[in-house]
Amino acid sequence: MASMTTPTTTPRIPWARLGIRGMALSYLFLMLIIPISVIFWDGFSEGMVTLWQEVAKPIAWSALKLTLWTSAVMAIINGVMGLLTAFVLVRYTFPGKTTLNAIIDLPLAIPTLVTGLMLVALYGPQQVVGAWVLEHFGQRIIFAPPGIVLALLFVTFPFVVRSVQPVLLDLDQAQEDAAATLAATSWMIFHRITFPAIRLPLLSGMLLSFARAIGEFGAIVIVAGNIPFRSQTAAVYVYGEVESENRLGASAMSVAMMLIAFSVVALVGYLERRGRRG
Amino acid sequence: MSIVLEHLTKRYDGHPVVNNVSLEVADGEFFVLLGSSGSGKTTVLNMVAGLIRTDQGRILLHGRDVTHLPTQQRRVGMVFQNYALFQNMTLAENIEFGLQTRKVPKAERRHRRNELLELVGLAGLGGRLPKQISGGQQQRVALARALAYKPDVLLLDEPLGALDAKIRLELRRTLKTIQRETGITTILVTHDQEEAFELADRLGVMSFGRLMEVGYPEDLYKRPQTEFVATFLGTANLLVGLAQGEGVQLGALTFPLQDVSSLLHHDDRVQVLFRPEDVVLAESPEQLGAPRLGLGEVEQVTFGGSFERLRLRLPPLPGVRPIAPPVAFGGNAILVEATRSQDEAEQLPLRAGHNIWVGVRQVHALEHPGLRFLLLSDGSPLAQAAIQTAGHIARLAHARVTLLGYGLDGEAMHQHLQEAREQLGSGLAALDARSSAAAPAEAARQEVERQSYDLVVMGYNGQSEQIALAEHLLAVGEHHLLLIPAAQAAPTRILICVTTGEPGKEDVLFSGRLTRHLGATAVLLSVVPPEQGNGQQPARAERFLMGGERTLELLGVPAETAVRTGSAPDEIAAELAAGDYDMLVLGAPLPDADGNINLTGTISRLLATAKERPVLVVRAAVSRRGLDLPLIPSSARIHDLKEVV
Repeated sequence: MASMTTPTTTPRIPWARLGIRGMALSYLFLMLIIPISVIFWDGFSEGMVTLWQEVAKPIAWSALKLTLWTSAVMAIINGVMGLLTAFVLVRYTFPGKTTLNAIIDLPLAIPTLVTGLMLVALYGPQQVVGAWVLEHFGQRIIFAPPGIVLALLFVTFPFVVRSVQPVLLDLDQAQEDAAATLAATSWMIFHRITFPAIRLPLLSGMLLSFARAIGEFGAIVIVAGNIPFRSQTAAVYVYGEVESENRLGASAMSVAMMLIAFSVVALVGYLERRGRRG
Repeated sequence: MSIVLEHLTKRYDGHPVVNNVSLEVADGEFFVLLGSSGSGKTTVLNMVAGLIRTDQGRILLHGRDVTHLPTQQRRVGMVFQNYALFQNMTLAENIEFGLQTRKVPKAERRHRRNELLELVGLAGLGGRLPKQISGGQQQRVALARALAYKPDVLLLDEPLGALDAKIRLELRRTLKTIQRETGITTILVTHDQEEAFELADRLGVMSFGRLMEVGYPEDLYKRPQTEFVATFLGTANLLVGLAQGEGVQLGALTFPLQDVSSLLHHDDRVQVLFRPEDVVLAESPEQLGAPRLGLGEVEQVTFGGSFERLRLRLPPLPGVRPIAPPVAFGGNAILVEATRSQDEAEQLPLRAGHNIWVGVRQVHALEHPGLRFLLLSDGSPLAQAAIQTAGHIARLAHARVTLLGYGLDGEAMHQHLQEAREQLGSGLAALDARSSAAAPAEAARQEVERQSYDLVVMGYNGQSEQIALAEHLLAVGEHHLLLIPAAQAAPTRILICVTTGEPGKEDVLFSGRLTRHLGATAVLLSVVPPEQGNGQQPARAERFLMGGERTLELLGVPAETAVRTGSAPDEIAAELAAGDYDMLVLGAPLPDADGNINLTGTISRLLATAKERPVLVVRAAVSRRGLDLPLIPSSARIHDLKEVV
């Protein structure tokens, strides 16, 4: 008798399912894949060798190097300070904590050009802080690498905090309590119990901020100016090449930047999958 | 003594979650702290471990005062409910962790680790990660880890709470065996009564931050002293009867008591406990072979495995009030829980609706009658504020509360009582709401005639009709009076103004008892009139205060004393202004020839301060029957005094 019972769920209409999938995939192609392919097409159009030559031009190579090392410095500072911030936000209560927690996401909402303006207003060589640093340390901030790092730090501030914070919140504090009853010092508890649990999210937060930093343009174009070999980053260089109608140079550098960013994002994906597996 | 806790107190936002807990655990003893969630038992354990800071009191481990030592230096082993194994380490690394932190050499570590894996029955699994083994196994590892460095004491925080029933039983035995073998002094915290009975050498029952009773499991079950413990442990039949000579009267029957309390007076109301297994059922009164409670009707029969559980309904007995099992609102029948062996059940099969004679083999009288509060409310904002504050106090005192509504119409009254019930919430020993159409004084008079109260509570902001009502309330019954001006947390610092002499003793005793429940501190103040300041009067006051301080000490209340010279209202006001007090205790004036108490004159000036903080008006002992205790108890009576509180 059982075989005669009719299924209670209504059969789905195949074209409806296909339609939805088709729409989503076409949108993805139209908005992401095709534009990205065009850049790759452009970059590789004159062949691998030409592309490499464009990137290896001293002025381009120096811009790429500057981008990479300032982003790396930023990612390290962000890692340390972001971890500290997340720790304080999760583990301590203090007046204004909710407000502070909300402010952390603010850089995402501020136009990056405005960010650049703010930094120039604060650290510019004619401004109070900038002049003081220049006088006492002989170091310019604006139109120099420190300005770039500052701009990148501002723009990517939420990345590490927001990837570490939820994990810290979830972290079973009983493990730390247990370690304390076993006579572990605070440093040992952090180093052997807490840190291993947040290592992966911390790393992925740092890598994400690194990937985001490589393409940063708005804040940097104001803060760093556009001085070749000194403060010209890869994104600013691409802008310059577009302006001077060297489409090949622009595409070649774009391909290089994108390849780096893609590999970092892929690495983050891998780390997150590993983290989820436990 | 391995573990000594002295007057431990922990507050969050002014509310004590652990309230004046004192406890001694002997060497090698397995002590169990039992309580429902939120009773503060885990907080006590965390305070012993140093994971939560202690606000007041001391913790001694093997004679070492560890109250202010960090967890790392306390030498305690702890096991947590959710195992708390280090997820990134193997089982072996977990167990060795405590040895590593103490720099034990590697070879010795390995030896000890293998020994422990063997002890908890997991030999050979040291290389696994925590997530690769079951919950029961994880808890065994946690136990091994806690024992690795041979701690002074072992603390177990609901260690079996997260496990399946079957594994729980198995691990319970393992726990007991290992504790016996290692001989380590242990405190286990649980909400599971069966677990507590099986594991405990001795048992402590906690409720709302207070350690209600401590004793051997069998003693606490058969001879509890408080209503809370009687009903919390196992199933209880609890009735209120009258003390009569050597026994207690329930209806027409007088039960002899084996353990006659020295505190029982003739005609005192006394709570009487008998367990379901003490109930005898028979077809005729002659066959009972035990004192007869009456002819009951079987309401419900349930199969309980090796035994049968019955609920019986008996007609009301004159002068007897049931407490547990609770009777439905408006009912006056007496419900009785009984159990029988399957053998007995077969010989006399019973079903719902059958009539059967009910007898009781033995009863136990509870020594501590528990506090009873009456809250008066007309639904005004002032009354609601008073209800809120009184609720905090009643919860801490574990009091039985009756809410008496007056001056509202049908629907409004119903709604107000409903809201007040929700506001008072849980945590009271009992909550009853009644309403009266009479004027407040008359409504209260009828209510206190129906049953007596220890404390009547009313909202008070100094209006003259409130003073009149307060006078009326003091003229009826035998209760004290609490005037509350606003919603506030339970008082933490109480000024007790005492008159030197007999009436002052009751002030100290009752307010001391309440202070102890609140976990508050007290200052005893005596004001000496200046014109008699010839040296005799202050000395007498000081002697009296010393006695009062001593009495409070015996109650476990931290107290100080102060003597002031001048006019009483002025000096009390000055002390209030100086001392940051959140409650004032005054002795009520003595009643006149008609039994009326007059609150005008000097006392009205003091009552005016009740606009800022609650004022407790304590009725003088001469008008009350009962606690006829000398203020400085002789050693023979110290024990009795502790029992009262």
